[in-house]
Amino acid sequence: MGVKDKIKYIFSYKIAGKLLIEYNTKKTFKNFKPPKNWRTDILAPSLRTGVYTKEIIAKHYLEGRYVSGVKPVAWVTSGAPIEILKALGFYILYPENHGALCGARKVALEISEEAEKKGYSIDICSYARTDIGATLSKKTPVGKLPKPDLLLCCTNICQTVLYWYRVLAEYYKVPLIVIDTPFVYDEAKEHDIEYVKKQLEASIEVSEKVAGKSLSFSKLKEVVRLSKMAAELWLEIMNANKNKPAPISVFDQFIHMAPIVEKRGDPETVDFYSKMLDEINERIKNGIGAIKNERKRVLWDNLPIWYKIRFLSEFLAENGVSVIASTYTNAWGELAPMMDIERPIESMAKTYVYPILNRGTGHKLKTMETMVKEFDLDGAILHSDRSCKPYSVGQMDQRLKLLNELGVAALLLEADHNDPRAFADEQIKSRLKAFMEMMD
Amino acid sequence: MLHVKIPTRKEVIEEEKSKGKRIAAVYPIHYPRELFRVFNIQPVEVWGPPKTDTKKANAHLQSYICSVVQSGLSFYLEGYLDIVDLIVVPHSCDSLQGLGSIFKDFIKPKQELVTIYLPREKNKENVEFLANELKRIYKQLSQLCGFEPDDEKLMEEIKTEEKIDKLVFKFYKSRENLPLSSREFYTILRSREYLPPDKFKSILEYALLHASKGKLKKTGIVLSGLLPEPMDILDVIDDMDAFVAIDDMACCMRRVYGEGHSSDPFERIAERIVNGPPDPTKGNSFDERFEFIKSLADLTSAKGVIFYNVKFCEPEYFYHPILKEKLSKAQIRSLIIENDINEPLPQQTITRIKAFIEMIRESS
Repeated sequence: MGVKDKIKYIFSYKIAGKLLIEYNTKKTFKNFKPPKNWRTDILAPSLRTGVYTKEIIAKHYLEGRYVSGVKPVAWVTSGAPIEILKALGFYILYPENHGALCGARKVALEISEEAEKKGYSIDICSYARTDIGATLSKKTPVGKLPKPDLLLCCTNICQTVLYWYRVLAEYYKVPLIVIDTPFVYDEAKEHDIEYVKKQLEASIEVSEKVAGKSLSFSKLKEVVRLSKMAAELWLEIMNANKNKPAPISVFDQFIHMAPIVEKRGDPETVDFYSKMLDEINERIKNGIGAIKNERKRVLWDNLPIWYKIRFLSEFLAENGVSVIASTYTNAWGELAPMMDIERPIESMAKTYVYPILNRGTGHKLKTMETMVKEFDLDGAILHSDRSCKPYSVGQMDQRLKLLNELGVAALLLEADHNDPRAFADEQIKSRLKAFMEMMD
Repeated sequence: MLHVKIPTRKEVIEEEKSKGKRIAAVYPIHYPRELFRVFNIQPVEVWGPPKTDTKKANAHLQSYICSVVQSGLSFYLEGYLDIVDLIVVPHSCDSLQGLGSIFKDFIKPKQELVTIYLPREKNKENVEFLANELKRIYKQLSQLCGFEPDDEKLMEEIKTEEKIDKLVFKFYKSRENLPLSSREFYTILRSREYLPPDKFKSILEYALLHASKGKLKKTGIVLSGLLPEPMDILDVIDDMDAFVAIDDMACCMRRVYGEGHSSDPFERIAERIVNGPPDPTKGNSFDERFEFIKSLADLTSAKGVIFYNVKFCEPEYFYHPILKEKLSKAQIRSLIIENDINEPLPQQTITRIKAFIEMIRESS
């Protein structure tokens, strides 16, 4: 660890940066006003606790600017078992989240083109293109991304991440840990779980070597405990939408899920979701819905369309459609009960095999059917995401089943989570209008 | 030119069925041939097939799923696989994962469905996992077939496959001495996708008898990708007084496995697959893939590499930019083209291939 790096880190992040961000948060929270151009005529005011989402993310990326040489840095996939790294004191960066941020800030295309110029096909995942583009060009809306010392790739969300992380390993010349999770067609077999467990155990040695210290199992248990608590709170927030009107839209969830993805295992994340839950319960008590006129309640399947969140949110709200349940946001909460604080490695092996993306198309249909019943939904929008084959394959059959067997209006909406070239406003509007007519 | 009579898939299926064998329709890429054979099951691979009308698959799969998977599903939905007793879907990529899942949850074929998860890294734990996965499939097959072949019999089948792999390698090494067009060479080689081992072996041995001492005086190419379909690509290369000297294709060389070492048959099959030639779907490193392709070029007189990609095949896409750069540093030129197996080769692609061959010929 360089003394210069450490001084810079302490001053720029720990003291000045953090204080400034916290001061701003307090000020904004105190004089809270919805963001400019917020459509209060159709939407509930934005969540006040949302200012803490900004704070957490701002601190996270600010720390990233100064962390190199102070803490070991790991880049990981969104479904990766990060608890071991967290317990070893790694700074953890999620390229997918950074990709989503680039998408929401509408700079993903420019960055992706940097990868395309180098020969990466337009038909590969747009998160991967954004990340590879950022790696090659150093372009990022957060100032600077820290270089990884370690890469951790878990195949429980797709196979794409494996090839993507191979590219990163080639570029950064750092160790790559692959946690290969067998796909669960119905139930995971004993040898599947054992296989993942062995990989997790093997990953400890590599991670310790990079971190330069040994893993403390009591620290690991503590991280697992915090991770589980945050996931449980997140699940509770999502389940609050069983109320009518639903207090938080899925579009809001997309924004506020950032901490559960990239800061799980931290005490601040537990505090944050605890505050958010209080605010949501307050909304329920006062009968405040995410949209003013909740005429229809709808499910969202698949990743968000990051660059069109506002457009979709407002267009649907204008028409009295509240999108209130999502298989995607649910994925970060539904597995919380599987985490066993006393048996961290064993329970991680099981938990990380079971994300919805690592399970069969029939399981996803069942999840949607359960949501339709529990949240009393009128329809489902299935985002057919060009960039996410594992999430999208099966949607055509799932849509038909929802329509024919459950009598739920269901729409297949072709787009891409990060590439705006796959989205045409007017076409999408007319598809959504037809969908709304189906619900009436 | 050799006059070799190679039976068609249909003829093989009918003949093997008449002998009381079961037929397994196997989707790409890696699977344990030996394990099916020991249960008296003849695997017949489904690589598309090309030029299939994919309308029926379009009801289940989005347009951004590759034509190999689209055609494979359509082929089933059109009823062409009604004759088979099993459907085998290895977990090769996200699209094939989805295909297996759609079969299981929605299409529900009348045939037994076998899925195989293939581990992604090359190490001891992965061999152990795959061996366990193979034992699970063994149980499934023994329930279906009503008998449990012993380890000795399975080992015999493994050794047969190992011998054939050696013979295939010899066939590759003799490529430049064989009076075969690229289309003929690959028609023979790819008949392994559906022929019983003894028949395939005799065809190879017959072809090898015709190896001459004189070498082909043509420009050699390494063809990399999933499969050489439509096969017109081979004719385009040959028309330029060039030939495919060797390949790095999923349907061919990437499945020429080495000998296993374990005395446990399940572990031995697992070793063969896990330690086999590098393949994007197995997630091998860039260095492994580069070294392998370079070794193929060195083994033959190949002067350049053509990456022939099926549109929407993500595993292949990711490797192209870095492999191209590494090959360039090693003075090996390469060309990336992509196509849909259901479409004829566009003129633009033909022109690019011709220009590439001319370029490597001039520079060598």
